[in-house]
Amino acid sequence: MSNKSLLKLSKRRDLIFTIVRSAAAIAIALLVAMLLIFVSADAGSVSAKLALTADALRQLLIGPLFKNSGAFSVKNFSDVLASMIPIMFTGLATCVMFSANQFNLGAEGGIMLGAFVSAMVAIYVPLPGVLLPVVAVLAAAASVAVMMLIPAVLKAKLGVSEMVNSLMLNYVVMYLIKYLMNSHLADKSKGQIMSYPFQPQSAIPQLIDNGSKLSWGFIIGLVFVVLTALFMYRTRWGYSIRMIGINQPFSMYSGMNVAGMVVLSQVLGGVLAGMGGGIEMLGRYTTFSWSALPGYGWTGITVAILAGNNPAFVPLAAFFMAYLDKGCSLMSTYCGVPSQLIDILQAVIFVFFAAEQFLSKYRQKLVVKAAQEELKQKAAAETAEGSVK
Amino acid sequence: MFFNTDFFFSMLRITAPILFATLGAVVGEKAGVSNIGLDGIMMISALFGSLTTYWSGSWLVGLTVAVLIGILVALLMGFFAFNLKTDIILVGIAINMIGSGGTLFLVKVITDLTEGKAMASTTSLITRNLQIPSVQIPILRNIPILGDILSGHCLLTYLAFILVFLVWVLLYRTPLGLNIRSVGENPNAASSVGVSVLKIRYIAIAFGGAMSGFGGAFMSMYYAMGWSQDMVAGRGFIALAAQAMGGGEPFGSMLAALVFGFAQALGIKVSSKGIDSNLVSPIPYLVTILGLVVFAIVARQRVKRQHSAAALKKTAEKNSK
Repeated sequence: MSNKSLLKLSKRRDLIFTIVRSAAAIAIALLVAMLLIFVSADAGSVSAKLALTADALRQLLIGPLFKNSGAFSVKNFSDVLASMIPIMFTGLATCVMFSANQFNLGAEGGIMLGAFVSAMVAIYVPLPGVLLPVVAVLAAAASVAVMMLIPAVLKAKLGVSEMVNSLMLNYVVMYLIKYLMNSHLADKSKGQIMSYPFQPQSAIPQLIDNGSKLSWGFIIGLVFVVLTALFMYRTRWGYSIRMIGINQPFSMYSGMNVAGMVVLSQVLGGVLAGMGGGIEMLGRYTTFSWSALPGYGWTGITVAILAGNNPAFVPLAAFFMAYLDKGCSLMSTYCGVPSQLIDILQAVIFVFFAAEQFLSKYRQKLVVKAAQEELKQKAAAETAEGSVK
Repeated sequence: MFFNTDFFFSMLRITAPILFATLGAVVGEKAGVSNIGLDGIMMISALFGSLTTYWSGSWLVGLTVAVLIGILVALLMGFFAFNLKTDIILVGIAINMIGSGGTLFLVKVITDLTEGKAMASTTSLITRNLQIPSVQIPILRNIPILGDILSGHCLLTYLAFILVFLVWVLLYRTPLGLNIRSVGENPNAASSVGVSVLKIRYIAIAFGGAMSGFGGAFMSMYYAMGWSQDMVAGRGFIALAAQAMGGGEPFGSMLAALVFGFAQALGIKVSSKGIDSNLVSPIPYLVTILGLVVFAIVARQRVKRQHSAAALKKTAEKNSK
């Protein structure tokens, strides 16, 4: 057997293993979900509870695709695609930072800062037509890049934990934005705290006009998936970033600029998170009214883990998370199961995906089986050769 | 007056929950376990502590359950981190997800089952007589200024500060502490002399869980009346910073935790003077970043000085020969 076909076989084995493992992780999460729904079902008898659980699960699993009547629901599906937009960006940001082993958790504050900055540009900077959203999103990206410089430089120069610093920055950013909104920027004529409306030309146009808010931001997100994947796997910088994540001492001794890459990876993460915030803000809203961290940063971390820190898989992982999220919210609308179930599901799927040893015995079995088959084939080939002679 | 006895009293009160989590982080880091899920455990423990207090009508039961839940969650984290080899940072993130959103799910579901309606917090359930009691210290209370600052605190506040000493004893005066430190220092060496690295790590993470349990109980059963969403507000993370600033030692980390308590008490004081609380609330987080930076610079200079001193000594020895 040639080496090439062997390699192919082992690749196929890896793929099968990955699929089985992912399916198992998701199955466990669904089992947990089922249990929790069953316990929380508002019914007396066990059979009524079971019926409610089945109904809730139906909403969770196929609700995002089909209406209650059974027909395909364009609206629900476009909702799912629309909510992929911010988490694709935070997912990409996390991929880049985690690839370098930089556990920067600032995408959460980053997306809020990006949204805020782009909103301010959209309100106060008089620019014509297409220019305004472009400038607003670029300003958002730049501001979050600057924010990420703080944990990045402190890590590179002083070795201070980027994780703690980025977490602290999330809170600082949130409170500062709330302060600015409360005291200076709020539209006093409104009952709630919200900014003045954006200039109309700042809006990112919609792909489908059905209220889902599926904007061109989705396409931009996909473009950035491709760009980030190319950057990480086809450029020298991307290689360096991945290398310091795999083996930092090796990178250092082979002459890579480790400190530079530590900073670069986090600044790029900031750029991506900031863009995500800007695009989400201009594609979905017409005023700024966020009063708390939106949670997209944390979902982005889940997305990155599901994607194995590979940008190419980010859309798939983001779709999965957005689908689950929509399912959970449908479940809470129609079946009264609190929608925060998503956080528990997310955590369960998350840890099983990240668990290196999860199902490792199964993998071992696959490898052993393949090796035995190989040996058998070799033996068969040898006897065949022998008989020819 | 600005810095009156009330101020220092509230500083100690605010420090207590951070100190609990800090001690958990100290023992964890000594064993080489970076548990960033302390914040999430505090949230989960706070929830179950307040619920069981309400059901049982006894704060002691609630406190016990909070601590047990903390240990349980920590052991679960340990299973994923040590046995299934999930990166411990990621396990921590997952626990924090459950701590922030999952607890809200749980409180809605549980109150729906027990109280007949889904509640988003347990603040209506905990009444003053269910709070963890405060104690007046007999002789101390009569000393003029000191008495006002140090007496009349919650039981747990005293426990937190006593635990600083106990943790020091544990780490430096017991065989278990020696094992914990050696596992953190060099797990291979420790296992080569027969120390079960896995067991020690489980003990360390469970200790962190118990401490977060105390911290969580303090939050929902004393500091605030009842559990509400995001009530821990990053105290578990601040504890990580305090551990780092304190150089991982119990007493140093206590001082760092006190700095955060001071910053937060100052914030409350300032906002009571009419300044927007949103401007004041980020102070502890900013102080954390600044503290970490100052600590890193000082540590770096110390290393440099030692290096140059060693170099000087070497040249001096050479010259004398």
